[in-house]
Amino acid sequence: MTQQDLHNQRLLKEAEQKVMHQHTRRHFIKESAMGLGALALGSMFGSCGNSSSSTTANLFDAANPLAPKAPMFPGKAKSVIFIHMAGAPSQLELFSYKPELAKLDGLECPQSLLEGKKFAFIRGVPKMLGPQANFRQHGQSGTWMSDYLPHLSTMVDDMAIINSVTTEQFNHAPAQLLMHTGSARLGRPSMGSWVTYGLGSENKNLPGFVVLTSGGNNPDAGKSVWGSGFLPSVYQGVQCRSEGDPVLFIKDPAGMDRDLRKASIDAINKVNQQQYEEYKDPEILSRIAQYEMAYKMQISVPDVMNINDEPAAMHEMYGTSPGEASFANNILLARKLVEKGVRFVQLFDWGWDMHGDSSGNAVNIGLVNKCRKVDKPITALLLDLKQRGLLDETLVVWGAEFGRTPMRENREGKEMLFKGRDHHAEAFTIWMAGGGIKGGVTYGETDEIGYSVVSGKTEVYDIQATILNQLGFNHEQFTYESQGRPFRLTDVSGKVITDILA
Amino acid sequence: MIVLFIDFLGYFHPVLVHLPIGILLLAGLFQFMSRSEKYKSLKPAIGISLFWGMLGAIASCITGFILSRSGDYDGDLISTHQRFGITVAIVTIVAYSLNKKNNPAAQWSIALMVLLVIITGHLGGSITHGSDYLTKNFSLKKDEVANKRKPVANMQEALLYHEVVQPILESNCYGCHGPNKQKSKLRLDDPDFIMKGGKNGTIIFAGNVDKSKMIERLLLPLSDEDHMPPKEKPQLSKNDIEVLKWWVENGADFHKQVKDFPQPDRIKPVLLAMQSGEQKSAVSPTSIPLTNVNAGDKNAIEKLKERGVSIFSVAQNSNYLSATFVAVDGITQSDLNLLEQLRDQLIWLKLGDTKINDEQLKTIAKLTALTKLYLERTGITDNGLQHLKALSQLQYLNVIGTNISIKGIGQLKQLKKLDQLYVFQSGITGNDFRKMQSMFPTALIDNGSASMAFLQSDTVVINEPIFVP
Repeated sequence: MTQQDLHNQRLLKEAEQKVMHQHTRRHFIKESAMGLGALALGSMFGSCGNSSSSTTANLFDAANPLAPKAPMFPGKAKSVIFIHMAGAPSQLELFSYKPELAKLDGLECPQSLLEGKKFAFIRGVPKMLGPQANFRQHGQSGTWMSDYLPHLSTMVDDMAIINSVTTEQFNHAPAQLLMHTGSARLGRPSMGSWVTYGLGSENKNLPGFVVLTSGGNNPDAGKSVWGSGFLPSVYQGVQCRSEGDPVLFIKDPAGMDRDLRKASIDAINKVNQQQYEEYKDPEILSRIAQYEMAYKMQISVPDVMNINDEPAAMHEMYGTSPGEASFANNILLARKLVEKGVRFVQLFDWGWDMHGDSSGNAVNIGLVNKCRKVDKPITALLLDLKQRGLLDETLVVWGAEFGRTPMRENREGKEMLFKGRDHHAEAFTIWMAGGGIKGGVTYGETDEIGYSVVSGKTEVYDIQATILNQLGFNHEQFTYESQGRPFRLTDVSGKVITDILA
Repeated sequence: MIVLFIDFLGYFHPVLVHLPIGILLLAGLFQFMSRSEKYKSLKPAIGISLFWGMLGAIASCITGFILSRSGDYDGDLISTHQRFGITVAIVTIVAYSLNKKNNPAAQWSIALMVLLVIITGHLGGSITHGSDYLTKNFSLKKDEVANKRKPVANMQEALLYHEVVQPILESNCYGCHGPNKQKSKLRLDDPDFIMKGGKNGTIIFAGNVDKSKMIERLLLPLSDEDHMPPKEKPQLSKNDIEVLKWWVENGADFHKQVKDFPQPDRIKPVLLAMQSGEQKSAVSPTSIPLTNVNAGDKNAIEKLKERGVSIFSVAQNSNYLSATFVAVDGITQSDLNLLEQLRDQLIWLKLGDTKINDEQLKTIAKLTALTKLYLERTGITDNGLQHLKALSQLQYLNVIGTNISIKGIGQLKQLKKLDQLYVFQSGITGNDFRKMQSMFPTALIDNGSASMAFLQSDTVVINEPIFVP
């Protein structure tokens, strides 16, 4: 028997004693009474409940939760990069070309548009605000795009632009939750969690669902937008940083070498294993798997998150500079992660909430600067995925939680110093590229001022259904049993936008 | 005119029948209750209810007979219902007269009458709501509701009529043109009936889609009165209609398998979608083979998994496999031997960033089902690439970041299906790239020439609004 075995044995004994120690007479009496009750209840309810419904059985292998799994049908996309502009940029300055709105600039908004509507900040009668950007047609498809995104407009023939998205929420946090979890309230799993639950990860050394944030803040809805909800916690997004340690506490503490770390993790897992044998709680198995994953990630994550080794031409193309927490760095990382088999990369860039309350939040100043920071990296991502033969199997989604009003914001009913737009849930733009999406498509129309959808109305659920479809899932059949009923990402709605599929 | 009016009377049957049912059951109830001392006073009511119930039963018989001649209903069920209905009327008459004469046998005839009313009512219900109406919620098959068809497991091997066409008809048409109802005297639940047609004549002309009324009705706009199924009923999907058209076009055959028929390009994605049950064919029909294979060797798959290879089916109901070595450090000959055991199943293989060498490519060349092969950033050379000539199904080849030259890639010229080639950061540049394009004239070739224009504005941060004319 080696030193280590002896040590482990002692540890197990200690754990056992600890449990015994906490087990008082009261526990014993309580458990005996409860046990009897449970036995009776169990026999009473044994015949009902969901244990028999094999069709909706959750496909969760606790011992190996991230093992790759087959999709329902051969999906075109293997992975997803979801680029979320937190705060919601104005569609009227970027994708939705509204020449009529320019003619109405400065006129008072007609009452008919305001009746029965609620706005976050607009009060009284606001004035209309014409588009602040110049629009031109681009590519063979002749897609309209603004000069705020000069690089991205060269890619229109690879993109499907959906100008008719609507949401149910006009405040950031609930709208972000709705976009990513299918519910405006907390507690549902995020899209990335659903996808890793359904498909597992192709790389056992990396998490299946990685989150990268930039812009100085996390999204308003907090970490719940990449939470796992009622799915096993192993499927929640792992937030990585492009500055400093990629994952907090990923380095071994001073004085602890890798062998010792391995030995301690093995010992902890032994104790956990023993607990599992006793209680049979599958969460314990996932905990064991997570410890092992964390150990492997200590090597693999710093490696994949290191962009120093990328050639200068790549840095030039993406506009990256290693070591900062920038959107460009995150985009380059997203490509690297996808290349390494990560299933779902979720990017959030904060600071797109252009209310016009400062120059940095003006649609004709701050928005331009913000666009310049993302235009090049996003374009580089599409080009780079393409030249690496990965665009076909990587679905890139760009979007936000809602859009902006064609009216100029008048906070407290007064004219503001800078030009801004208020939150608008009734019409905004999301685009997709790669992963079996048709290029050069503009889908859906809004009225001539971009206020509401005229044709091709697309709900948030439709976006989610389409993403799942591209990965090989029928969103109506992809469910998880929780609290006695099956749940789906798209709740009771959603239809695949077949017009944008290749 | 008179005939029309009589037909019109027939439509009152479903309303009228409820009167005798209610009244006669009430008569039974009165009879039962009046046996006790407390309710003795109900006795005279028995005769009254029997009388009105009798009139109702006779009226129901007459209207029912008229309705049955319309031919919209299933013959067998109708005739049983009819016989029972007439019996009810007769027994009621008998019960009424016995009761009038205060004959003690009256109570037995009333009991018989009640029993017959229940049976007849049930039979009538079966005709309108379907014979499984009462029990369908108890039966194990309750999940198989209309329009939820199971995907076909193996489309090419499937019998075109029995496994593809019939389920479409069953879930969309049998309701009105099946065993229980035959609207317009048309039945679609049997080949003979289908070919016979309905009261408007033949509905299918084998090989002639344009003449076939069935297809015409399906294709009429929803607003058209003659459109089928009626607009309030669930509609056929585009794929369903496409398949029916294809079936009629090829002779409306009832016996052959799908693979026996010519499959033009427009039908391939439709068949594939029906096989997998997806909403729209997300995969172009060439990227996963249409034919099915047997399951791969479980043992080999398990062993590869133990090695850290990510290997799994490309879809839940498919035996084709995808394998990724992204988390495996070194690739060994034993790994390759295991892959070889799965050569019929393996269609996608990712070996990027591994230490695969030219010698090992010889084994890769035996994996002849491969359609996608990733060899990016590996040490392979032109010498090894020549073995891949054997991969006749290959559509996608990724050799970015390798030393492959134009000579090496030229060896794959004869791979007719190869239509995506990625050669970024390889030995193929400039002139060679143009040569390569002429070698693979129809393929998409990317040598990574992607570049972005330099724009002055990229690095400038503005403080003033930019000018908009």
